[in-house]
Amino acid sequence: MTRYLRLIRIFTGATLAAQLEYRANFVGAVLASLGEVGVALLGIAVLFGQPGTTSVGGWSFHEALLVVGLFTLTEGFISVFIQPNLSKIAEAVRTGSMDFTLLKPIDAQFGVSTRNMNVLRVTDLLIGLGLTVYAASHLTVTPLGVLGAAALYVSALVIVYCIWLVLSTTAFWFVKTQNVTELFNGVFGAARFPVTAFPLPVRAFLTFVVPVAFITTVPAQALTGELTPALAVASPLVAAVFFVGARLFWLKAVGSYTSASS
Amino acid sequence: MTATWRKVRTLFATQFAEMTEFRAEIVIWMLSGTLSLVMMLVWMAQAGAAPGGQIGGYSPAEFATYFLSTWLISQLMVVWVSWELDLDIRQGTLSPKLLRPLDPLWMWYASHLAERVVRFPLLIGLVALFAWLAGARFTTDPTAYLAALGLAFLGFCARFLWEYCLGLLAFWTESSTSFQEVVWLVYAALGGMFAPLAFYPEWVQRVAVWTPFPYMLGLPAQLLAGKATLGDAGRGALVLLAWLVVFWGLRLFVWRRGLRKYGAVGA
Repeated sequence: MTRYLRLIRIFTGATLAAQLEYRANFVGAVLASLGEVGVALLGIAVLFGQPGTTSVGGWSFHEALLVVGLFTLTEGFISVFIQPNLSKIAEAVRTGSMDFTLLKPIDAQFGVSTRNMNVLRVTDLLIGLGLTVYAASHLTVTPLGVLGAAALYVSALVIVYCIWLVLSTTAFWFVKTQNVTELFNGVFGAARFPVTAFPLPVRAFLTFVVPVAFITTVPAQALTGELTPALAVASPLVAAVFFVGARLFWLKAVGSYTSASS
Repeated sequence: MTATWRKVRTLFATQFAEMTEFRAEIVIWMLSGTLSLVMMLVWMAQAGAAPGGQIGGYSPAEFATYFLSTWLISQLMVVWVSWELDLDIRQGTLSPKLLRPLDPLWMWYASHLAERVVRFPLLIGLVALFAWLAGARFTTDPTAYLAALGLAFLGFCARFLWEYCLGLLAFWTESSTSFQEVVWLVYAALGGMFAPLAFYPEWVQRVAVWTPFPYMLGLPAQLLAGKATLGDAGRGALVLLAWLVVFWGLRLFVWRRGLRKYGAVGA
């Protein structure tokens, strides 16, 4: 365990050093972050801008803003930690450099998931966190609510990671996977809004088929104290099932890997 | 003249052949551009829950019609040329393209047009399916479709040119593609991807009429929904044509400056 922690520290140092060389890229990253948060904010701003509109799907403006904050935070998490690593799987399988990862005396899934980091997109994390705190400061929040939300948000991140891992792992069979993760991004875009803002059949789809509801809506509900116990239990459960599933899928994929040369 | 015609035909034929290979990817790209669809669902739910069953004069079915139309039009306006330029400039693969007796712009333009031909039938199928599911109703006036397609074509050309300019920024900066994200946001907002333009604050509407965005996205969508007249379409086309001239000039300017810079690096 300590060995893995030390590795994370070394990986982080290496990736930081490599990225800070390109300081000009920082401007671009900030622009991109602003673009992404802008889409989410405009979406709810226009909705609440209509005369007579005080709630969307039963959520007040600041509650909906909370969802936007968590959405931005999750986008940041994806672009800082998940995407820079997992999007390389396809390339590694195609060129055969996956061999090196598999030969190393550490768990291969750990290796492909932690080696890289896109430090530049930390702005997303900051904006997301700022929005979440700002929105929460306008709502009555209990310490228990914060704790619950934090725990549920960790489950949310595990779910996001697992979905990405499974989608990227399909690269072992279908060499190109970037498209599939794009498709997930499309569906994930719905997480900008509380899931109750959608018509009923869509809500079911976003909860049971692609569990987008667990990623932003459920932690936000925990913060505002509107969470039903059933959902509070379901979220970690879904995360655990996804994690085991993703792990098994990864092992199966690695088992069927025959390297690029053979 | 025949030489030009031969170039056009060859360009289009090769690009079309390439694009038909990407059929499956094109469907996935179409489905990943979901902002209009997400906004459609949210507005439909909002209108359904509102007293009187409508917001700003739009019933759920009318929201469905409007947003599916913007989705359709925005799909016709997908442009990825700035990514290609960014890559080509950074990796130096632009050089062989400069040796051809043709401005590389036309190659990319042809490839986008060819992709549109492959995309269109798939797109119509998806729109029909979504329209059936959401209960959208489009206009029955054939001239409105022609006008909408015409505006979409002009809009596509405008978007292609401004994306081209943004892509050319790669001559100077590492992060040209992120400028594109911010410009896309302005295009989506003023074009009416979040809501019909009439739903925006007064001052935003007053600014928007001077930009090309409402005429390339919102106006054709309103034409398909039967909520805009041919007169509106004509005025929109004039504005778009004016902007096309501006973007063309801008592109020439940036291209010439950039090539000088590129030559300095490569030589």
